[in-house]
Amino acid sequence: MSQPLRVALPKGRMMDEALLLFERVGSIIDPAARDSRRLILPSADGRFEFLPVKSSDVPVYVEAGVADAGVAGSDVLDEREPDVLRPLDLGFGGCALAVAAPRDASYPHLPGGGMPRVATKYDESARRFFAGKGMQVELIHISGSVELAPLLGLAHWIVDLVQTGRTLAENGLVVVEEISRSSARLIVNRASHKLRLEDHQRLIADLAAALERSA
Amino acid sequence: MPTNRLAQVPPGSQDLLAADVRRRRRVQRVWFELAERSGYDEVIPPTFEYEEVFTRAGTKLASELIRFVDRDGRLVALRADFTSAIARMASTRLRDAELPLRLSYAGKVYRQRPEGGGHARETFQLGAELLGSAGAEADVEVLRMVIALLRALEIGDFQINLGDIRFVRPLLAGLEPDEAEALRTAIDRKDRAALAEAARRYGAAAAVARALVELPELIGRGEVLKRARSLASGPDAEAAIERLRAIDALLAEDERAHVVYDLGEIRGLGYYTGIQFEVFVAGAGRAVAFGGRYDDLLALYGLDRPAVGFALETDALAELVREAP
Repeated sequence: MSQPLRVALPKGRMMDEALLLFERVGSIIDPAARDSRRLILPSADGRFEFLPVKSSDVPVYVEAGVADAGVAGSDVLDEREPDVLRPLDLGFGGCALAVAAPRDASYPHLPGGGMPRVATKYDESARRFFAGKGMQVELIHISGSVELAPLLGLAHWIVDLVQTGRTLAENGLVVVEEISRSSARLIVNRASHKLRLEDHQRLIADLAAALERSA
Repeated sequence: MPTNRLAQVPPGSQDLLAADVRRRRRVQRVWFELAERSGYDEVIPPTFEYEEVFTRAGTKLASELIRFVDRDGRLVALRADFTSAIARMASTRLRDAELPLRLSYAGKVYRQRPEGGGHARETFQLGAELLGSAGAEADVEVLRMVIALLRALEIGDFQINLGDIRFVRPLLAGLEPDEAEALRTAIDRKDRAALAEAARRYGAAAAVARALVELPELIGRGEVLKRARSLASGPDAEAAIERLRAIDALLAEDERAHVVYDLGEIRGLGYYTGIQFEVFVAGAGRAVAFGGRYDDLLALYGLDRPAVGFALETDALAELVREAP
């Protein structure tokens, strides 16, 4: 048996969905390791080692090659632009990156032509989006509870991930423009893909087949 | 406190201490012994040059230059690449030299990199350029140098992924710039769904669409060349396969064992005109060496000559070799 492939997974709901997908290709977390405090979880069949990390860190581990592959939202990939392969759209984890504003706010121009302030966790994607539209905005980097920013007057609009829109609605915000759709992607380290070609080709083919069966 | 401030070096630069230096020197010593024995003369280009030397080829190097203004107001850049500097040398001071010209080098290159990615801005490279030979023999000579160097460093477990850019280039022909860019991205990421989607959206001919979707899978030993031959459309793609076959025939059995044919790699697009390769070693997360044929580069500096060469990341390799006894 060759070395297991190390797969970085984003902690949270996306990790649960990723593990369900791996279960469908016959790989579950070794029961002996489940509920333990181990940081690396081997699969029972010895084919994988799962590495649960913060979602925005998945590309960092994979690009550096300390993980052979990983599962990351395309929102995270667009933001960090890691130099990795992206062979497969895994379908789950669907959401949208969007500009949202209070119901009565004006968009895309402020009355009087003032410079809009935009709060976001996704600086790079927001910068690219507004630059592409030729809009001058001031970005304010916030690392959580972005919806608060317009309520408190910190920003006029926000750029954030929207899944159901409920959190937005609860805070009196509405989507004014969608920037991009996002879903979970399989990403692969370039060097690992070359050196362990068969392992990666098998993984991609197995996952693709499992996705097709459920489609 | 001044002592704490002095302990800092700018991000992406580093001090190399005794053991780090010994391993790098060993790599360089082994390299120059091999290069000399193979008839390659060492050259040392300047540490800084007028920036146009590095921007001429129109590659992304232009966005990675570390520039400053010279006394007379001209922009100069730290050496970002040896090949550009050697192309300038070959087209000017060495333009009457007898061909083929075999040149080797080792030293630092300097590139602007984003902060926080763990990227060095100052790295050691070494390599060689073989100028004035267009044949498969010259391609093989360069591949053999790489193989001999890694063997001499007692790195047995390495892999050369070899392709020819002329196989992919025709697939991108005739597209609008933004379409070509989207397709290049899909090929580079081996994103099959995006490839199929792009082929459909741009109304690619059936043969081109099939080749695009197959690209991510065109990796393997000699049998891949057969499969690629059946997908090749047009004289360029056919010439690419012919060249790779010729190289395969010239390689000895134990050399061929290190070579994997990889037709779907486009990292060198815009620079290479023929074969291109990357070298991977177990334990390194990225390629440790890369090279290929760049027959159009020297003409940009005023002398139209074919050329082939390689560069190796000395720092990455130094991490993998034993210290000299």
